[in-house]
Amino acid sequence: MKEIIKSIKRAPYQSLTAFLVLFFTLFLSTALFISITFLQSLLNYVETRPQVTVYFQTKTTPDNIFKVRDDLQASGKVLSIKYISQEEAFNIYKSLNKDNPLLLEMVTADILPASLEIYAKKPIFLPEIAEYLKKQPGVDEVVFQKDIVNRLLSLTNVVRKLGIGFFAFLIFMAVVVLMTTASFKIALKKDEIQLIQLLGAKKSYIRRPFLFEGAFFGLTASLISFLIIAGVLAYFNPSLGSYLKGIPSLSLNLEFYQLPVWPLNLIFIAVTFSLSAFFGIGIALLSTYLATNKYLE
Amino acid sequence: MITFDKVSKKFPLGNIAIDEVSFEINDNEFVFLVGPSGAGKTTILKLILKEISPSSGTIVVDEVDVTDKKIALLEKLRQKIGIVFQDFKILPDKTVFENVALGLQILGAKSSEIKKEVKEALTLVGLSGKEKVFPVQLSAGELQRVSIARAVVGDRKIILADEPTGNLDPKTSWEIIKIFKKLEGKRTIIIATHNTDVVNSLQKRVIVIKAGKIIKDVRKGGYEL
Repeated sequence: MKEIIKSIKRAPYQSLTAFLVLFFTLFLSTALFISITFLQSLLNYVETRPQVTVYFQTKTTPDNIFKVRDDLQASGKVLSIKYISQEEAFNIYKSLNKDNPLLLEMVTADILPASLEIYAKKPIFLPEIAEYLKKQPGVDEVVFQKDIVNRLLSLTNVVRKLGIGFFAFLIFMAVVVLMTTASFKIALKKDEIQLIQLLGAKKSYIRRPFLFEGAFFGLTASLISFLIIAGVLAYFNPSLGSYLKGIPSLSLNLEFYQLPVWPLNLIFIAVTFSLSAFFGIGIALLSTYLATNKYLE
Repeated sequence: MITFDKVSKKFPLGNIAIDEVSFEINDNEFVFLVGPSGAGKTTILKLILKEISPSSGTIVVDEVDVTDKKIALLEKLRQKIGIVFQDFKILPDKTVFENVALGLQILGAKSSEIKKEVKEALTLVGLSGKEKVFPVQLSAGELQRVSIARAVVGDRKIILADEPTGNLDPKTSWEIIKIFKKLEGKRTIIIATHNTDVVNSLQKRVIVIKAGKIIKDVRKGGYEL
């Protein structure tokens, strides 16, 4: 630590440059990571919602609804259908508005429509199913989420691709700038390095202080950028909460693990910080290693 | 043992630093390498340290073929050699203790060993009590003592000194030479110098080089410019 502070004092502007480049790289990358994670988990959420929901008029009898359900099932285009009766709809309404007694008093099961939540075998069948449902007697409204899913999917894809491209550019820029500042610091210690080489120092011994300093910058930059982002998230947490009202939780489906994203939780925060620190330290170590290698070769 | 067998060093522009030089220096021998400026003394020291490579010939230092290109061997070889420079090469931002400890830290010595050895080395060169002093507060003679202390720590078998008294007044030069005398018989000491007073007084082995060739090699002798 003493050596790191000494090195920072010896070349303060170069140290500041290295720190700021790492800080902005990590700040933007972490912000991108959080945005993409939110979008992806939102997409995952929407995809798990019924692809077509058909609401029936309140006067429609369960038998008529079951006939529509059976016809759809017989078509072979439907994966599953869930029937939500008026009572079940009322229970859902009650649980969603449990904090608002006024709304609960005003509504009874009679005025809520029964519905069918339909999942198609293939997205291509969705327009056909929706059209069929619209023509059925007793149908009040058909909510067809294909457009929402598609829009969210294309938005997520664009953001993901742009994010990866931007992230790659940021890393490249950070590596180049950090290599330059590390080279400058090496040049400042040229006499010392030449001396210890003559005394028999191994390359690893010569590299060590530069790598430690790089790791220190990486860790500090990731910590500070993470704290700022965490502050921004905490500030906007209530607004996000009201924006995402009705969505109980969001999670990112990884092949091996389901990462909880919303509501904000310790696991998500820990994963975000770990990734930020990993990349921060990794970028700094790689740049410093390349710079020292170039000099020592 | 250090062996030079028909070693030549030609620089790219064609000037010949040393030409077919051969000699042997036994373990713990005290040798003066003398000659006028540009004779090839520093080139021989640089070749022993493998700071430069020979154009032809073979150099063996402590059973290590210096002409071998393996870097691992080079580091091990250099860890056996202590160097004393004419311009001291003391790091200005480190204390006396830290400068001397550098020679041990490179070897991966433990903190307790470093403390013990640095203390002993500073006692040997007469700098006890100046551990925490920075180089800027030291005289030229004291700086050269620090340089010697750094060269002897870590049980280095060979001490190479390139004009160690070149920047010092006669009285201080003698004090420095006395330190080298204390090490006689314990390590191989090779001092490149053109200080005739010192060489003639000590009556040690003298290898005289002129224009890149050995013109005299005497076991106990002196030297005239």
